[in-house]
Amino acid sequence: MNASSEQRRSFNRRGFLGLTAAAAAAPLLAACGGGSASQGGGGGGAGGTVKFWDMPWATPAYNDAAKGIAEGFSGANGAKASYQIIQWNNFYQTFSSAIASKTGPAVSTGGGFQAFQFEQQGQIAYADKVIEKLKANGQFDDFLPGVLDPFKSDKGYVAVPWQLDMRVFWYRKSLFEKANVALPTDWPSLLEAGKALKKVGAFGFTTGAGAGNNYANHSMIMMMVNNGGGVWNKDGELDLMNDRNVEAMEFVLELVSNGIVDPAAVSYTTDNMSAQWKDGKAGYGLFQVNVPQRVGDTSGDLLVADPIKGPHGDKATIVFPNNIMMYTNTPSQEASEEFLVYYLGQLKQLWQKKLMSALPVFKSITEIPEFANDPNNVKIVKDWQPIAKTFAAQGSRLNANLAALDGGQALNQFSQTIITGKADAKTALQTFQSGLESVLKK
Amino acid sequence: MSSTTTESGFARARRGVAPGGSGTAHGNRKSKLSAQATRTFFWLLLPSVVLLVLIHGYPLIYAAIQATHDGDLLQTGNFVGGQNFATVLTSPAFWKAAQFTLWFTIVGVFGSWLVGLGLALLLRTRIPAGGTFKVLLLLPWVVPIVVSSTAWNWLVATPDSLIPSLFRNLGMGTPLFLADPSLASITVMVFKVWVSFPFMMMMISAALASVDTTVYEAASMDGASRWQQFTQITLPLIARSTYISWILMTIFCVNDFPTIYLLTGGGPVNATTSLVVLAYRTVFQDFATGPGVAIAFLMTMTLVVISVILYRQIRKSSVE
Repeated sequence: MNASSEQRRSFNRRGFLGLTAAAAAAPLLAACGGGSASQGGGGGGAGGTVKFWDMPWATPAYNDAAKGIAEGFSGANGAKASYQIIQWNNFYQTFSSAIASKTGPAVSTGGGFQAFQFEQQGQIAYADKVIEKLKANGQFDDFLPGVLDPFKSDKGYVAVPWQLDMRVFWYRKSLFEKANVALPTDWPSLLEAGKALKKVGAFGFTTGAGAGNNYANHSMIMMMVNNGGGVWNKDGELDLMNDRNVEAMEFVLELVSNGIVDPAAVSYTTDNMSAQWKDGKAGYGLFQVNVPQRVGDTSGDLLVADPIKGPHGDKATIVFPNNIMMYTNTPSQEASEEFLVYYLGQLKQLWQKKLMSALPVFKSITEIPEFANDPNNVKIVKDWQPIAKTFAAQGSRLNANLAALDGGQALNQFSQTIITGKADAKTALQTFQSGLESVLKK
Repeated sequence: MSSTTTESGFARARRGVAPGGSGTAHGNRKSKLSAQATRTFFWLLLPSVVLLVLIHGYPLIYAAIQATHDGDLLQTGNFVGGQNFATVLTSPAFWKAAQFTLWFTIVGVFGSWLVGLGLALLLRTRIPAGGTFKVLLLLPWVVPIVVSSTAWNWLVATPDSLIPSLFRNLGMGTPLFLADPSLASITVMVFKVWVSFPFMMMMISAALASVDTTVYEAASMDGASRWQQFTQITLPLIARSTYISWILMTIFCVNDFPTIYLLTGGGPVNATTSLVVLAYRTVFQDFATGPGVAIAFLMTMTLVVISVILYRQIRKSSVE
């Protein structure tokens, strides 16, 4: 029995159960009055209703606005779109169950590498025709450089990016003034700045690895990439034990041993981290876009720092290109494509209303006053976006294995080991490599 | 009436035999009725049994399939036999999690039982505003775990949180309650006891309420001390409830995901990773469904064994 027949068998069993449940529930639903026909990916009129599932990317106001955009879709042949919020808790299970029972979405946002996981299982509709339409309407040329490339596989575009979750260094200006130290430009000056900040009661490498907090994970990978290393080599093979990674982790361990990393950071949730920034305990560290708004300090004291150089002259950070994907289970592939093109064309509204905590993927949105009036945003687009690499670095294409890396146990344990200084760099990397090898799909 | 006569009278009464009757004719009629009743009960129970099999049987069978295959949440994958179990049982992470689960359960069950017992005995005495205290003491059990874990996080997470500040001001250093592996384990267990003692208190209060106070008066008259009354009367009389509450709390502790996950996420460096957290992380973070479900299976088997042992204790205490 090959993999595809096994897969079909699995779907059939779940599909049968879904059908049985639906058949059993049908009289009850009918008795409740009204009722509506429903099928996976949508249903309804000639063009069908495209089911769009979206995540809570920001405050509830974001989802209200996104819902308005989705429900404003009116395609050829009377195609419409419905909108549903999917919570982050167990989102992969939610999507998997729905897709298996053919009740999943036709189009969705989701986890950064989700599209590649479902592509592996034959559930993703490639977006090449969407790209053609974007070329035709001029939006293709509007993409920021390099944001589309990671989504191109041998079979086609797996998804289309719509926002960039960038990791950049932030600093509190008043603490640097108090410590009378210059902003770091490279690793040695980061160490010196950290020592000076420590004297004024602040930390120079703010991070966190508590429940649900991935910033320590991102900080570790960022430092590797910033030194020309990374989890993978250029061919996409696991390559954790390279010299650049060892050097990067030895430097982080030096920061730890000098008290530049908060010893309690290993247990910090993102809220704890935000509190450290707000309370003036965090002087410098890796965080997301829109930190002042998140932290609740818009006094102008929290600013985006310059990228720093690694010891070999490398300059890089990491970015998570969040994307929109289409599924093979749809009432109409044309309607799905039409909806996606329409939705990408409406994204500007979300940044105009200042609802997003991420960078847009379109140059035109980076130029709107609501975005460009914030000097931090401008600096991120100008200085950080061009040097941003994905979790796939030093490889260039995203893939399903990255889902097991991002937020997986191996990386969590590694990051916690490093920021508590519990092991030397080589031992920690070796354990990380072994842990990752055991969960990666060959 | 002698005691023997009394006991046989109770036995006959339990069998439904009238005084002086042999019970034979009645027994025949009863066996006919019993056959009819059995059939009726069978048909009445059948829908529930079918429902239970569907609700519990299907997931169990599907989980068994997943535990013996190398697939994921969407695809069953290839049959690998007991390989997932072997992988899990030879993993140091599993045994570390098992060890933490054992301690977490022991402290959770007996810690909450001791606190619950103490408070139940205290509330049995006449204290002013006893009813208000009862309600207030129920709060840790009533408040959603997300709220209480957030509150505890803010109490202990950073060096400037309330409790570390208190320790610092008392000259006891600045303990990192969630960042130090040993302290994090203790904090999680204390949190579990805090969340669970109201349940134990309610169970024990209910058991104590059914104890006749004249037993204590008689014991006092016989010269029994307070301690003797507690160990020789109170504990044996509430033993049945105690064993039931231990079974339930053992299951609650072993299966407790939110208390640990929301407070520490299983860290630092896996110090507070229990088996259920490990199973969750294996399935939903590493996407390794087979090994994750295998962990859940092993947990279930262990729980069944513990429950059976404790259930036998209940029967034993009933007989005694």
